[in-house]
Order: sequence, then structure tokens, then C-alpha cells
Amino acid sequence: MSTATLDREDLRTTVADVLDVDVDEVTDDVDFIEDLGVDSLMALEVMVVLEKKYGVKIAESELREVTNLTKAYDLITEKLKAA
Amino acid sequence: MAAPDIDGRTGGPAVSPVTGSAVSPVTGPVTVLEHTGSRAVTEVEADAGQQVFPGHYPGFPIFPGVCVVECVHLGAQAAPPVPGVRLDLVAVQSTRFQSPVLPGDTVRSEADWAADGDGWIHRAKVRTTRGPAAQVRLRYRVVEDR
Amino acid sequence: MTTVENEDRMIALTAATAALGLADIKRVLPHRYPMLLVDRVTDLVPGVGLTAYKAVTANEPWYRDLADDADPAYPRTLLVESWCQAAGVLVAWAEPNPDVLSGQVMLFGGMADIEFSAPVLPGDVLEHRVRLMRALSDTVLFEGESLVGGEPVLRVGRVVMAMRPAEELSPHDRQSR
Repeated sequence: MSTATLDREDLRTTVADVLDVDVDEVTDDVDFIEDLGVDSLMALEVMVVLEKKYGVKIAESELREVTNLTKAYDLITEKLKAA
Repeated sequence: MAAPDIDGRTGGPAVSPVTGSAVSPVTGPVTVLEHTGSRAVTEVEADAGQQVFPGHYPGFPIFPGVCVVECVHLGAQAAPPVPGVRLDLVAVQSTRFQSPVLPGDTVRSEADWAADGDGWIHRAKVRTTRGPAAQVRLRYRVVEDR
Repeated sequence: MTTVENEDRMIALTAATAALGLADIKRVLPHRYPMLLVDRVTDLVPGVGLTAYKAVTANEPWYRDLADDADPAYPRTLLVESWCQAAGVLVAWAEPNPDVLSGQVMLFGGMADIEFSAPVLPGDVLEHRVRLMRALSDTVLFEGESLVGGEPVLRVGRVVMAMRPAEELSPHDRQSR
């Protein structure tokens, strides 16, 4: 059972690293695809990395909906609570 | 008039031979178009005669993604961050393949060097005349001469 | 809808999960000489992982023009290519696709955190270990490592492969772009 609460800044740096952008570009609501010019493949890759890093299981449909940091934070927090 | 590059050369692009100096799936010279300070712009021809094409794939030649990375690697070696330093590729930190490279394309790597602890990061945007082809980030370790 | 041929293949699949020889590999990978860099597959468990072997020899075309005093190490990019082809077998085994001109094509989407720990030399036999990280409807992510004589030579943090219709790369598409 994972009791780790999710550190938003740790999430931000992980996302920035996978997207290969500077951390300060990954604001809470910047859209990975529309604003950061990331392709859908990379947006998926971010979520798979987060899934593995935080030890949570996310359905493909849920994965595809996450296109900014806040959505990622909320979804993973919800999964961590359920774990 | 081209700005003097790191080795003080102001002439046309330097062409450094690739064949024979190291084992590489990519043949043909690397052309160094720009090599000033931390910036390196290099080109390799993915001409139809490249030896990888017959097998990748028969009847459907596509320049392998790893050969695009190899072109960046060859460019990095031809335009090192510091003159005369010998570099050892220790990691492919990330690559992003955006569009396929096809026979006859010129693979152009526009890269920047950044010091990183005891090594160097080579971050390149790769393009052909048809547009962006890949983004590649490599890490090198400096090899102490024997 | 599974055709008879599919059923044979499914039967073959279960019987042959232990090991794949060259013929099986060539049935699922479109790569050919000099870019067929997987010699043998063992312990294939569809959707989970496999082990693959590739013998490195000085008789590969990239050694032909090598200067006598040059470094004989196998190209790092081909080390990665060989590992990725092993991963390709894992994707393609359930969906063989030797003819890239029809059906789906496996595109190399990208990779991350690939680390080289030791040079690979002619005479070495690469042992690629491939594990499926996540399979999505049109994208598969892998991780793993390669060993020589039990010693790690390559670590693969992440390789992303996208399945796309071949038309995206067809010659017609090339002219129009």
C-alpha cells in the first residue's frame, strides 16, 4: 500500500525531463501538446513513466486524457489513495 | 565571410573523413558547416548508396533511427566542444524521431555543447530539407589520452 | 475473426514460445542483411519479455574499411539497434509483419536513458534482455539491458515503438510531402 503523498515539484521535474523541456516551462496548466508542441506519443510516454515511478496502474483511456501537470497530479493522487 | 571557428579556421566547411576511423553503420564524410564555441552544425548525406538501406528494408528503404543518432554522433566527434579532446559516448539520454529520413536526404544536425560534470552533453535538432527529423541528446565522457 | 492460418499460428505460438530460430525471426522482422541484427530468441513470453542473442563478428560490412589501428568496438548505435530488433520480435510475434508494404509498420518513436557501460568487441555474443513496460493500442514501451559473458554492456531505460499504417511512409506519401 503506497502511503507516499505526491510531491508536485517532483512530478514537475519528472515531466519536464521526459518532455525534454525546462522545468519552468511546465507550469500547472500549460498543455503538453497545444503549448509545448509535444506529440501525442510523448504525452503518452510521460504518463507511462509516471505510472511506473509512482507504482500506480492507469487505464489507457485515462492516460490519454492527461495533457497538463494538474490533470497528471490529480489522477495520480487519486490512484495513490486507491492503492 | 564565415565567423572564425573554434580552431581559428575561417575557410569553407571542413570535411572530415568518417570511413576507416571508427566502426560505423554510416559511411561518407561529415561536413562541418559551423563550429563556434558551443555550437556545431554538421551534415551527413544519407545517399542511396548507404550500406544499411538494402536491409532496412528491402524494397522500402528508410534510414534507420539509430543511424540518424549516428549522424549526430559523427557530427559531435567532428566538432568537439574543446579542440583535440577525445570523447567516449556514454549515454543516449533521449531521442525523439519526428519524421523518417529517406535515401538522398541530407541529415543536418544543429547542436549545442554544454559541460556536465566531468563530461559533455550534446543536444541536437536534426532536420532534412523536408523538415524536422529528430531531436537527440547524447552524453560524452572525456577520454584521457594514454 | 481468426482465419485458419491464424489458428495455425496461434498453435505454433504456444508450442514455440521457448525459442525462435532465424526463420521465425525473419517471419516477424522485415529487417534483412546487413541490418538483421538478431540471431536467436529464447524464453519468449508474448506480452511479457524475451531473451535474444546476436554474435558480433569482424565480418560485418562496417568493419570492411576499418584502419588497422582504429578502435574495433562495435558501433554503440548498432548495439541499440540490435536490442530494439529483439524488442520488435516481442511486439511483432503476435502480429507478424514481414511485409512492411501492407498492414502496420513498427516505427521507432524514441528512446531514453540508454547507457553504455563497456565496449563490445568482435567475438562477443550479445545477450539482450527485453521486458515489455506497457502496451497501448498503438504504442508499446520496452526496457531492459544487454550482457556479454554475464557482464552488462547496455542499459535501456525506455524504448517507444509506435504501430502506424504503412501508408504514412509509402512512396506516394514521400512525393506529396
